[in-house]
Amino acid sequence: MKKNGNNKTNDTIDLRDPKLYINRELSWMQFDERILEEARDTSLPLFERLKFLAITASNLDEFFMIRIASLKDMKNAGYKKPDIAGMTPKMQLNALSEVTHDFVSGQYSTFSRMLLPKLMDEGLRFVKHHEDLSEEEKAFVDAYFKENVYPVLTPMAVDSSRPFPLVRNKTLNIGALVRTEENDIEFAMVQVPSGLPRIIELPKGTDGTRSVILLEEIIERNIGGLFLSYNVICAHPFRVMRNADFTIDEDEADDLLSEIEKQLKKRQRGVAIRLECESGIDKRLLAILEDELKVKDNDLYFINGPLDLTFLMKLYGLPGFDRLKEKKYEPQFPKYMEPDVSIFDQIKDHDILLWHPYESFTPVVRFIQEAARDEDTLAIKQTLYRVSGDSPIIKALAQAAENGKQVTVLVELKARFDEENNIIWAKMLEKAGCHVIYGLKGLKTHSKITLVVRREEDGLRRYVHLGTGNYNDSTAKQYTDIGFLTCAEPYGEDATAVFNMLSGYSEPAIWNKLSLAPLWLKDRFLYLIHRETEHAKNGRDAHIIAKVNSLCDIDIIEALYNASNAGVRIDLIVRGICCLRTGVPGVSENITVRSIVGTYLEHARIFWFLNEGKEEIYCASADWMPRNLERRVEILFPIENPKLVDDLKHILQIQLADNTKARLMTDDGIYIRITPGRNQKVGAQKTFMKESQTVAGSREARKNERVFVPEEAQTEDEEVLKI
Amino acid sequence: MKKLFAAIDVGSYELCMKVFELGGKTGVKEIDCIRHRIDIGNDTFHNHMISREKMDELCEIMKGFHRAMDTYRVNDYLAYGTSAFREIENTGAVLDQIERRTGIRMSVLSNSEQRFLEYKGAALKSGFERYIQTGTAFVDIGGGSSQITLFDMGHLVTTVNLHLGTLRIRTKLRDLEPVYSDYEVIIGEMVMNELDYFKELYLKDIEVDNIIIIDDYMSAIMEAIGGRPEGHITAREYKDIMKALTVKAPYQIAAKLHIPEDNAAMLLPSAILVDKIINMTGAKDLYLPGVSLSDGIAYDFADRKKYIKPLHDFGDDILSSAANIASKYGSFDLITSKLTDAALIIFDATKKLHGMGARERTLLNIAAIMRNVGKYVSMSVPAETSYAIIKDSEIMGVSHKERIMIATIVQNSYPNNISYEAFKSLEFESKDEIIMIKLTAILRVATGLAKNTAKSIRDLSAQLKDKELIIKVTTKDKMLLEKGLFSERTDTFEEVFGVTPTLLVMRVNA
Repeated sequence: MKKNGNNKTNDTIDLRDPKLYINRELSWMQFDERILEEARDTSLPLFERLKFLAITASNLDEFFMIRIASLKDMKNAGYKKPDIAGMTPKMQLNALSEVTHDFVSGQYSTFSRMLLPKLMDEGLRFVKHHEDLSEEEKAFVDAYFKENVYPVLTPMAVDSSRPFPLVRNKTLNIGALVRTEENDIEFAMVQVPSGLPRIIELPKGTDGTRSVILLEEIIERNIGGLFLSYNVICAHPFRVMRNADFTIDEDEADDLLSEIEKQLKKRQRGVAIRLECESGIDKRLLAILEDELKVKDNDLYFINGPLDLTFLMKLYGLPGFDRLKEKKYEPQFPKYMEPDVSIFDQIKDHDILLWHPYESFTPVVRFIQEAARDEDTLAIKQTLYRVSGDSPIIKALAQAAENGKQVTVLVELKARFDEENNIIWAKMLEKAGCHVIYGLKGLKTHSKITLVVRREEDGLRRYVHLGTGNYNDSTAKQYTDIGFLTCAEPYGEDATAVFNMLSGYSEPAIWNKLSLAPLWLKDRFLYLIHRETEHAKNGRDAHIIAKVNSLCDIDIIEALYNASNAGVRIDLIVRGICCLRTGVPGVSENITVRSIVGTYLEHARIFWFLNEGKEEIYCASADWMPRNLERRVEILFPIENPKLVDDLKHILQIQLADNTKARLMTDDGIYIRITPGRNQKVGAQKTFMKESQTVAGSREARKNERVFVPEEAQTEDEEVLKI
Repeated sequence: MKKLFAAIDVGSYELCMKVFELGGKTGVKEIDCIRHRIDIGNDTFHNHMISREKMDELCEIMKGFHRAMDTYRVNDYLAYGTSAFREIENTGAVLDQIERRTGIRMSVLSNSEQRFLEYKGAALKSGFERYIQTGTAFVDIGGGSSQITLFDMGHLVTTVNLHLGTLRIRTKLRDLEPVYSDYEVIIGEMVMNELDYFKELYLKDIEVDNIIIIDDYMSAIMEAIGGRPEGHITAREYKDIMKALTVKAPYQIAAKLHIPEDNAAMLLPSAILVDKIINMTGAKDLYLPGVSLSDGIAYDFADRKKYIKPLHDFGDDILSSAANIASKYGSFDLITSKLTDAALIIFDATKKLHGMGARERTLLNIAAIMRNVGKYVSMSVPAETSYAIIKDSEIMGVSHKERIMIATIVQNSYPNNISYEAFKSLEFESKDEIIMIKLTAILRVATGLAKNTAKSIRDLSAQLKDKELIIKVTTKDKMLLEKGLFSERTDTFEEVFGVTPTLLVMRVNA
């Protein structure tokens, strides 16, 4: 329902009032809570729920390492400036400590009370404590220990002559108190080797029940054997999280590459910001850990269950439980492509929109591969942010260089957690003869763009791929993203200019189609929102639909508040952080925010503006976050082909109609699951899967049909075509 | 298959390489434009040399250009240095070093060559020809200086170089450190000092309706008002934009026009210069074809290689430019015109003898047009004064070397006896010397035909017969003077070509 704008209240309300905003960290925690809800959703297959719980755990780890760490840095540096919602770093840390502690207990009650019993019902016994093993099982794990585990363990004892050992970030360890022959109590520890499987399946029970136990339980059971001359008093697992969000001072670093390599080594030794230990840990042991790791009570988490739930992802992979998993969906052949036609001919014929992972990412890989082998290709230029372990794109690029093409690759070294990986690729590409560039100082290159230059019969032609997701063939199976292939001249010119700019040359005087951050992208968004506001003020229908991963830029939010007040209808689909509040009188009455959590990670960014019926639709690599708009190289690109515009609009409409996986933000800033009620059930991701299958299916059918067309009819057809 | 061509412009504050596709329907199509800001001018304007750091940076960028040329597999390229390179003392050594380090061979354009190329780039845009049918000021704004060329009725009228350039103005501004709000006033004053002089000298007889602007940064203004891909804008619209711009700091202009801040700082001097020219001339329409030197280089190359059909007669412009200088010195009269006719008739008749082409013919034409300019200064030593004037005059489309060649030809067309040593100079290669000697020989013969009585010449023709060049003149006068002097003027011709010119006078009744 559209409500009329109320300009009177607007005059008196300061739209930057912190009360009108939600703290981004707390909003992020709400996102992780939505994933936890999925883990608790009994309508989902059991193993999918395990996976969601594993995701909440790895998400939380990342959140600690980056966000909490950064807040702690700020607090320690005496930084007191309040955030968008008026909270100082200290206030945020206090609030977060409470929320995260509650969250963790939520995770473990889900695990222990909901999932474990269900697993047992389904014939999978999870042995929580080694004490619960049967005699045969005990013998089995002891043999396993002796054979596989013991040789790789490095037990360490601490006494006055040996310093406290380095406890590596995120690793699982077992701490113990041991009594020496002199009757002194000392600290000892052993790291649970990360190279060994965390889950060990035990021999099947006589009733066919399968059982698993965790590696740390097996080690704990055998710990006595590690400290032979000591008497082990107690042993408990613990885990430390350290600060990972380092910033590189580029002015100081002569060589960016070596600096990052240095930072990676340093990261291991960051300050501890979270200590997880088994609840019921011996108080003396805890005291030693707290003291040595300098952890405060706020950062201490007593865990009622196994530490580090990310192992559930491995449990998900346990063979034999397919009946408890969602049926595997194969990405379909894209709607706008033909299997056996040169990709360049297809692009020359029409612009192509790709909707991953419903549609396969393979054509994008093929685009590069074909260019690498193609005689007419002069150059390939591409930005790489995160690539998969064994990336076919990297191989194709290297092959292209070996085939004498000019290959320019921008490798973003600063992609979080992927630096090591990226450095390896960068060096490999350089070896193959590619021209590797590392982007612009102080700016992460987050844009996803590929340019292929071909010398064709009628002149030079440029083929461009623009995307909202990384050139990563494995995440492309899990992230929803838009890809766009075109050889339209204005895009080609802009793409050329993008790579010139990334190579350190000057910005072009004119951009045809693309808007780039950090240059003009934010202005462009503000302009588009403002234009809609003006339309509303002039009494026209005005409507914005935007799908982003995060919304926390104050200028954008303020513009949206203003637009809402003018009467613009605004529907936002925000996966994660959203600092905007809905339904505030005189501020955001016309704004809705919903979030979709599904099998795939929502990742596409799509922006639609009604613009008095002359609608405009854009895709981007950027979110509505300051870091995207101000500190990164990002690209916003319009889609103009009417058919493709309809497709994108359809995507937005289906997402807005989702009543199974969507949550709506209430006026209190919390998210409530939308239920179908009497309406037909709509699940956006399910719908897209079906649609892509239908398209691909009918293509197959057509293909088969063609085989059976009698020869006569064919000639007839041809004649008709001639006329 | 279309040809790919790269044009490199090593400017005072920017290196720019554009890659073009030549031929086919599109003619000249820009494919890529790579620019890098580097302040070479600051080095060379002050110290007449390029510092090592700048040289390293320059070579790094040029290497990048080379790589880009490889990418496109360009068929040809031309690389030119402009004003900053003109200031260098050891040009040859610098160019050699650049070639060795980057593989790119570049040369230096004289101001008039550069302006001509820029003008050529603009003239080949479709809007140009239409504008110059009425009074038009063609303003080419550069870093160190600007060139104003006036056109009327489709022809070039005059061209003049003003010491007003964006970089020069910016440097002066930096010394003065004014507040932003004073920019307009201060730049305005600087500009007006130069423009007043220009107005006094050149704008008396011509009404300027249009201004065509060549500038690297002004196109941002067109972008800002949107929807003007053709580059047309009325003076009134321009004034409105200026009103909004001049009250802003460069960073604000940058934000408003969506251009880099550096560009915004460069934009203001240009914008104010154009504003003042509008005030001074009362022009109503502006045209920003959005071309740069690189475009001109490409258009010129495409023109010479016949990849495009020329829309405009550039040879005519060069001659108009020479004629305008001649008339400034009161020497563009009937004698000059007859001399020119005679020289060209002899040139055309002896093509088999001299084997020279169109460019040499143009040089001869200019030499004939400008031969008598020195008489304005001195009737007794016109050879020396003409030489000096030609050497220092800007002739649109003529290189520095060619200008010295013309001056030398003119100088040696005077004395009765000439020494071939006079054609030797460090600036010339031996082929240049030969061209000069041949053209001098022809010009000398022509001068023997065009004395005071030349006004009565009705008809003139030349024909090569065996070892004789028979020059037939139809006249109502007796041509006694010519007959007597003619043989004095032919010795060089005989020596150079081994052919004797013979004068045949046909008298008709008046």
